[in-house]
Amino acid sequence: MSGWNLTGRVPDTATDAAADDALSVSQAVELAADALDAIPQLVVLGEVTGFRGPNARSGHCYFQIKDDSCAIDCIIWRGSYAKRTFDLRDGMQVIFTGGFNLYKATGRMSFVARSFTLAGEGMLRQQVAALADKLRREGLMDASRKRHIPVFCTRVAVVTSLSGAVIDDVKRTLRRRNPLVELICVGSKVQGEGAPAELIEGLARAAAIEPAPDCILLVRGGGSFEDLMTFNDEQLARAVAACPVPVVTGIGHEPDNSICDMVSDRRCSTPTAAAESVAPAIGDLVDVLDARERRMAVAMSGAVRTRASDLSAMGERAARAMRARLERSALALRAAADRPCLADPAWMVERRRSDLEQTAERMASAVERSHRRFADAFEPLPARLAGSVSGLAPKHRELELAASRLQREGRALLAIRQADVARAAASLDALSPLKVLARGYSIAYGADGVATSAARFEPGDTMRVRFADGSVTAQVERIELAEPKPDPSRA
Amino acid sequence: MADRKPVDELTYKEASTELELIIRSLESGDMELEESLESYTRGVELLQSLRSRLEDAEQKVSVLLKDMDGTDTLVPGEAADTSDTLNL
Repeated sequence: MSGWNLTGRVPDTATDAAADDALSVSQAVELAADALDAIPQLVVLGEVTGFRGPNARSGHCYFQIKDDSCAIDCIIWRGSYAKRTFDLRDGMQVIFTGGFNLYKATGRMSFVARSFTLAGEGMLRQQVAALADKLRREGLMDASRKRHIPVFCTRVAVVTSLSGAVIDDVKRTLRRRNPLVELICVGSKVQGEGAPAELIEGLARAAAIEPAPDCILLVRGGGSFEDLMTFNDEQLARAVAACPVPVVTGIGHEPDNSICDMVSDRRCSTPTAAAESVAPAIGDLVDVLDARERRMAVAMSGAVRTRASDLSAMGERAARAMRARLERSALALRAAADRPCLADPAWMVERRRSDLEQTAERMASAVERSHRRFADAFEPLPARLAGSVSGLAPKHRELELAASRLQREGRALLAIRQADVARAAASLDALSPLKVLARGYSIAYGADGVATSAARFEPGDTMRVRFADGSVTAQVERIELAEPKPDPSRA
Repeated sequence: MADRKPVDELTYKEASTELELIIRSLESGDMELEESLESYTRGVELLQSLRSRLEDAEQKVSVLLKDMDGTDTLVPGEAADTSDTLNL
């Protein structure tokens, strides 16, 4: 120790000795730190307070944990906080595992938590959240799994406690909203030991009802978190998801949300809301009917109107077509009427008459011209004729003379010839076969002329027999040939 | 059209569905006039039946109870208490 005395007091040996034994702050802090390090790992339950999330720069968390009488700084290093299963919030009851640590620069003692879990209800909630996560990963909460619930369920099973107010709420709600919904109540415990199993059985019984209900209401009134834990049961949640009939849940009150709510086909915030969701209000049905009545009337009158307008359109078209056709005909008629033959029938006759007159004119003048031509040619002829016959008189006399000579000569010539002929005629008459016939002979003719032999005929042949005064045609009946006489000339 | 059941034999839902189909086919305008008149008549019938059902509806409640031998039976239950109606 140095010999100088700043206080001016006589140094006290005891104090000096003590001063000699005094520790530096560092040494003291070191001691404390060692002592704290000697404490084994602790598990501490406390309420989180002053938590402001991880430090923006370092990522470590600085806050306090407290109970009714004490508080202590708490640190969670960044690496440890990263492994958390939930975010810390003020007011949470959390079980921290870790040890004390002394920050030597300030001498502040803190509890450094290496891990932490929720305690009490918080723990339950965390377990529920973990189960929810698990079921979500299995796909039990997928929107695609949710079954369609008919807008109007007419047959609804209610699985809940039959002794509570909830079943009456459901009945009353549906009676008021829509009495057409038939309710089937299936009783079950909804909280406490064995409740999940009874509810699972209740769902199965409700689904087995014949005919099957349109949906099942799984409902329960409000309660504490622990009360509602029944509806976070994994087996019950799986039964809800697997139920063959769509399930509508209404468990507790908003914002309670159970696992059953998450896996059900429809989640409603309360039993009453669940009951209301299965069927439209009767007033809405009346509105729907009113609307349908109007639609039907509109459609029907529309149908009639459409056809009426179709008809009138067709009528108009027909009228138009007819009119057009009549107009065309009228036009054609007018055109025909305007033709000269109809407009002035006399015109045709007139035209022909005038043609005829012209022709007649032409003919008359032609005749006249021709007549004049002939007349002109004829005029000199009498004079020429008179000239040409003037030398005829002497020739005429000569001719007369010659004629009388010829007459004379001729008569003389004839007389000689007449006498010859008379002689010849007398000879001829003597030789005439007619004379022979007159004596009783006759001549027979066959098919090829005069028949000189009976052998030329056959019975049945036609024969003409000539007599002096005529002839007979006869048929040959029989032929008799005479005995051939010896020909004296041949003999 | 031939398989039309008497309106009274249809459930509310069946009648309602048929009415909607009739209205749609009326609205489509594809029907013959005679056919649509027939449908319209049926529609009016359905509409009246549905209306009267809404007016006369009474809540039906039954309870599923286990028999002695453990089989489930539907037993008529009490409809909702109406005493609170005035308080609503």
